[in-house]
Amino acid sequence: MKVQLENITLAYGDAVAIKDLSVDIADGESLVLLGKSGCGKTSTMRCVAGLETPLSGRITIGDTVVFDSERRVDVPPNKRNVGMVFQSYAVWPHRTIFHNVAFSLRQQKLPKAEIRERVRDVLDLVGLTEFADRGASLLSGGQMQRVALARSLVMRPSVLLLDEPLSNLDARLRDRLRVELREIQQRLSLTCVYVTHDQSEALALADRIALMQNGRIVQIDRPEKIYDAPFSASIADFLGVSNIFPCTRVASRENLSVLGLTGHDVEVLSRSLPTGPEGAAEGSGAADPADPATPRVCIRPEDIRLLTEPLPEGGNNWLGKVEVVSFQGSYVRYRVGLKGGPELDALVPRHGSALLPVGTPVWATAEPTAVQVLPAEVPA
Amino acid sequence: MTAAIARLRRALPTGVLLLGLATLVIVPMLFILLAAFSTEVPRPGSIGLDALSLENFEVLSTSQAMGALGNSVFIAGAASLVALAIGCGLAFLAARTDAPARRLLYFTGIAPLFLPSLVGALAWSLLGSPATGFLNLLLHGVGLDMTLDIYSRPGLIMILALYYAPYAFLLVHSALSLMNPDLEEAAFVHGGTRRHTLRRITFPLAMPAILGSGILIFALTMENFPVAQVIGNPGQVDTLPSFIYRLMNASPSRGNEAAAVAVVLTAVLLVVTAIQQRAVLRRKFTTVTGKGVKAKLIPLGRWRWPAFAAAMVYFALAVVLPVTALLIAALQNSPYIASLGQLTDADALSFYSLGEMLTSEDLLQAARNSVLTAVLAGLIGTAISFAISYTVYRTNAPGRRVLEFVAMSPLAVPAIVLGLGLLWTWLVAPIPVYGTMAVLVVAFLAVFLPQGYRGVSASILQVDRDLEDSAVLLGSPRAKAVSYVTLPLMRVGMVSTLLLLLMLCMRELSAALFLFTSDTRLLSILIFDNYDNGAMQGAACVSLLYCGVILVIALLAKSLGAKTVEGSR
Repeated sequence: MKVQLENITLAYGDAVAIKDLSVDIADGESLVLLGKSGCGKTSTMRCVAGLETPLSGRITIGDTVVFDSERRVDVPPNKRNVGMVFQSYAVWPHRTIFHNVAFSLRQQKLPKAEIRERVRDVLDLVGLTEFADRGASLLSGGQMQRVALARSLVMRPSVLLLDEPLSNLDARLRDRLRVELREIQQRLSLTCVYVTHDQSEALALADRIALMQNGRIVQIDRPEKIYDAPFSASIADFLGVSNIFPCTRVASRENLSVLGLTGHDVEVLSRSLPTGPEGAAEGSGAADPADPATPRVCIRPEDIRLLTEPLPEGGNNWLGKVEVVSFQGSYVRYRVGLKGGPELDALVPRHGSALLPVGTPVWATAEPTAVQVLPAEVPA
Repeated sequence: MTAAIARLRRALPTGVLLLGLATLVIVPMLFILLAAFSTEVPRPGSIGLDALSLENFEVLSTSQAMGALGNSVFIAGAASLVALAIGCGLAFLAARTDAPARRLLYFTGIAPLFLPSLVGALAWSLLGSPATGFLNLLLHGVGLDMTLDIYSRPGLIMILALYYAPYAFLLVHSALSLMNPDLEEAAFVHGGTRRHTLRRITFPLAMPAILGSGILIFALTMENFPVAQVIGNPGQVDTLPSFIYRLMNASPSRGNEAAAVAVVLTAVLLVVTAIQQRAVLRRKFTTVTGKGVKAKLIPLGRWRWPAFAAAMVYFALAVVLPVTALLIAALQNSPYIASLGQLTDADALSFYSLGEMLTSEDLLQAARNSVLTAVLAGLIGTAISFAISYTVYRTNAPGRRVLEFVAMSPLAVPAIVLGLGLLWTWLVAPIPVYGTMAVLVVAFLAVFLPQGYRGVSASILQVDRDLEDSAVLLGSPRAKAVSYVTLPLMRVGMVSTLLLLLMLCMRELSAALFLFTSDTRLLSILIFDNYDNGAMQGAACVSLLYCGVILVIALLAKSLGAKTVEGSR
């Protein structure tokens, strides 16, 4: 079912956790709330569940208004039909898996035979058929996660909330469950709200990503859109762009901008028009790196190539020296100290070639289209 | 309008709880204050502010009162230093060294807890009274011309230290054994010698526990009444608690002056408790990791056996000698003996009077009363503690911090003072509770509220809030979620809190001192009465039974995996 949040504000004492937040989630959509800890993403989710009471705003699930501060509607959590997978899983250790999963159906006082059948179906779905009578304290992390999911799915929730459900698992299991979760969500066309601070998880699970900072949604879009065109340098930073430098515009040349890195003697060519609301990067006079009005040059580490010769056709050509080499399997991560400039982070595909030893002089380059100029923050 | 009602409904449970706790704790304290500042003792029909005066505080300027205050501070200070030395030493031996029989050492550390200080004092007066003490008889028997006088300041200090050392032992032992060994290993790896590491790493890490327990023991010995009365009184060493008792028992009773002294004693304790709570808070952040990894043991070399022997001396002084003395006193046929040799005479010892005593109506009644009040206070106390803990940790009800504060406040009030306040409260109260068992239950509830609250709240904090919330999201009403998820998961914590309260109530004398009647005597009261009337044999018999009951509760608690004594004051 669709979920609507309108002008939600939530505060704990004096600390404002969510500021005037609005978002519409379509029926069957998977929305990921992505942000650092403390950005308000979990609070937003808990408002939908009814575990937190906002100061103001309205929340609608399907056609039912479950919260409205003006009309003083506040449906208690047990009447909202919202499923939630907690970060800690919250699987009851003193009950069997069957009892855990059957709980909501027993609350509804369904006939025994129906309960058994629905529990079996959902355990099949998550691959735990064999474990029904096992005590829940004997499970591994991955199994607990599945029980928590099954327990929520069995009630056929109007919306399923997932609070960093994969963060307590080891990396390999996380990758597998991520795909499984996405598959289940798409198969059941469940409306999902998924909270995470892990960008790759967000990219993999979302129909849309809502990026949150300081209790607001600063950008909301399809994953690939956000990835390609973040609104600000701090969003880019969060999405794995590791080369971010304050800059000033020096000149324009054949529809390229020429930028000088603040405090360094290096020029960068960019084709990107200043993006983001109201072209915040235009203010070229400010050179103070701490000033949020100073624009930033942002380059993904995988967009940087390292060459032994400068590019003959011109463009971005920076001379530097390899300072750190870190082998990562299919990729090699280099840190290159630019001559008269900052350190660049480069992620280079290996293709069977030998690693460049520390101290090697290299030419670093990046396509002007891969160089983005962004405001430091999305203005409030 | 509806919002106002909703707000009221949200605040109602907290309000009711606060009101209940206020009656339990705050009102008695107000009565003490009222009595201290007026010329009339609170009595039905005569409470009011029209007889205010400061003259009660003149009693403080008497040499008796000054002496009592000086004694209290000096004795509590000295006793806590000695107790700290014993407790820390034993804890170090048991937790971190290769001393022989470390399990026995651990048992030595906690065993004196099974002897309430009342029993310990009684036994030591049997052992060390100048005229007829068994130890003095022994000294004279072997021809030594010296007399041990337990009825003295050093005597008081020694007995208090013996029976309060376990508190230091428990706290320091857990700090030393839960300490993350990585911290010490890091010091070794970076070139620290063993001695250096002990001094620079281990000791400072355990410091908050040492300090915290030291201050705790100071507060406990300061308010201790039984030892002060049993040992101090014959030696004419007054402390504040025994001074209060004497003022109340004077004829005519000098209640107003007793209240004035009580105010002073409480004020001192308030300061001490505030300091102690800070030390306890600091402790949380430093040592305990709970990883259960065993730290490296420190080899004692040639000090292994001397250290062990020292521990055994403590065990003998705190447990073996007192219990032996109680046994001899309980079994001997003639009330007085002039030398130990008489004990080897035929029919010098018999079970006759022990059996007589243990089947007497007095004792059976006291035992029934004790068990009944302890069980009631335990059950009700656990339930109230749960209600408070739930409100404080699981709701955002307004006023929940106040609730917590009130629940912890009896920590700063000496049991004897709270008992006095409760006496006046329930004398004045329109409900006929005074003189019944109910008033004893109320007293124990009030005195041990902090222990109950701490036990249950530690347990509720271990149950993840999400567990309960998920039941609510799955469609269950809140109350059902609590009973289906939260309560079952807290079972061990709740049961051990119940047993802790049982044990503390069984041991308590001071709080009940002004509240019992001849029909509602408890085991502790019976012992005290017997002692007061000079019936040492009776007192010894009841003491043995009493320790037995306490031991049974403790064993029960241990078999349930509970840490019984950790939460005690």
